[in-house]
Amino acid sequence: MIFMVTLAAALLLLGRAETYVVDRARQVVTDLAAPLLELASRPVSAARRVVESTDQYAYVFDENERLREENARLLAWKEAALKLEAKVARFEALLNVQVDPSINYVTGRVVGDSGGPFVETIIANVGSSQGVESGQAVIDSDGLIGRIVATGSEASRILLLTDLNSRVPVVVEPSQTRAVLAGDNSIWPRLEFLPALASVSAGDRVVTSGDGGLLPPGLPIGSLVQADDGFLRVQTFSDRSRLDMIRVLQYEFPREIDAQDAPAALQPVTSEVQSEAPSASTPAATPTTEGGT
Amino acid sequence: MSFEPITPSSAGRAGKIALLVLPFLAGFLCMLLSFVPFSRIFGVEIAPAFGLIAIYYWAVQRPDVFPPYGVFAIGLFYDLLSAGPLGLWALVYLIVFGLVVSQRQLMIGRTFSLFWLGFLVSSIIAGFLGWVLATLYFGQVLSPAPVLVQMAATVALFPVFAKLFEQLLRRLLVQG
Repeated sequence: MIFMVTLAAALLLLGRAETYVVDRARQVVTDLAAPLLELASRPVSAARRVVESTDQYAYVFDENERLREENARLLAWKEAALKLEAKVARFEALLNVQVDPSINYVTGRVVGDSGGPFVETIIANVGSSQGVESGQAVIDSDGLIGRIVATGSEASRILLLTDLNSRVPVVVEPSQTRAVLAGDNSIWPRLEFLPALASVSAGDRVVTSGDGGLLPPGLPIGSLVQADDGFLRVQTFSDRSRLDMIRVLQYEFPREIDAQDAPAALQPVTSEVQSEAPSASTPAATPTTEGGT
Repeated sequence: MSFEPITPSSAGRAGKIALLVLPFLAGFLCMLLSFVPFSRIFGVEIAPAFGLIAIYYWAVQRPDVFPPYGVFAIGLFYDLLSAGPLGLWALVYLIVFGLVVSQRQLMIGRTFSLFWLGFLVSSIIAGFLGWVLATLYFGQVLSPAPVLVQMAATVALFPVFAKLFEQLLRRLLVQG
């Protein structure tokens, strides 16, 4: 008994170093538990769908009404978007802009909860055999939820934005203010390193900035709220308690930029354009949440 | 009390093994159950510490069939799976297990509500210890709300699991 207590205490101290052995052990255990969790989470998923569909039956008329309105509004947006798309394509062709590469993704399902009260992670049923790697961004249909921190062959662990250890470089639109989104185990992550005179206000949209090259730029995260404790916090678009299907983005930072043949007339400014291109242009993968607040 | 033969029958031996293995297995499965996203069915996020229920139950009823290394193993796997500080819950569970074993005479053979009250006290101790250790580990004061919610849910679900374990223990004793 005493020996066990000492051992546990020693592990607690040793674990602080986060050694390779500990990481490896975590991965192995997660991989072993994943099939069991997968099995157990199937009826849970089914039950959820039943609960959700009964919810939907109750509000089907209201929902229909709302969707009609939204559809009318979105049609106008679509018109505008098509025009802009054509315009942007023309400009890009004209300026010879380096466009972000398209992003591949793997879709998986959440099979395991975090379990502990001091960590905000989930386990998904996709792993390195599907090409999932540590550091990749994870989104659901509403926006960014976190990133991969460990992968086994068939399962991987996702660190949610709300976890104590989560730090994500973000941009607050529309003022384009850069900041860092830091989790603190509460449901709303905190905005840190905001410039002193930043003109941001509650309700502003927060997206990933792509700084550091780990996450693709422009992924929607949430909207800004003023919390009671004086911090600016972000209410995420994705509902953490309803996470089910998730998508792992296999984004590769464009490290090797091919030499481009710019039109002769634009030659002097090409270098400037090229250095700004990756952060200024948003990927085409996520236009769906525009105006969906 | 009948005399045990010197070489026990194979059935008796199987019963002994079952008595040693099944309680631990039940505890282990309970621990895994914490990771199944049940609460997401209703759109909330609570993961009750089912492992603690198993540990408390066996600490009171039959600590002889649930050795400390079983408690340690359950805590350790819980830590590994939850990606939290390694050894945190192993330590907390061991301390709670030790406390409960030392106080088990208070609860043994009494009413069920007293047994349940004992669990309430144990989970408060466990939650508080866990919170203090996590706060020290991360070097910042954590919000106690998630632990409180988790422990409240665990205490609420205690009777269900206690009844299940009771059935299991009865079967095992009949067999052994």
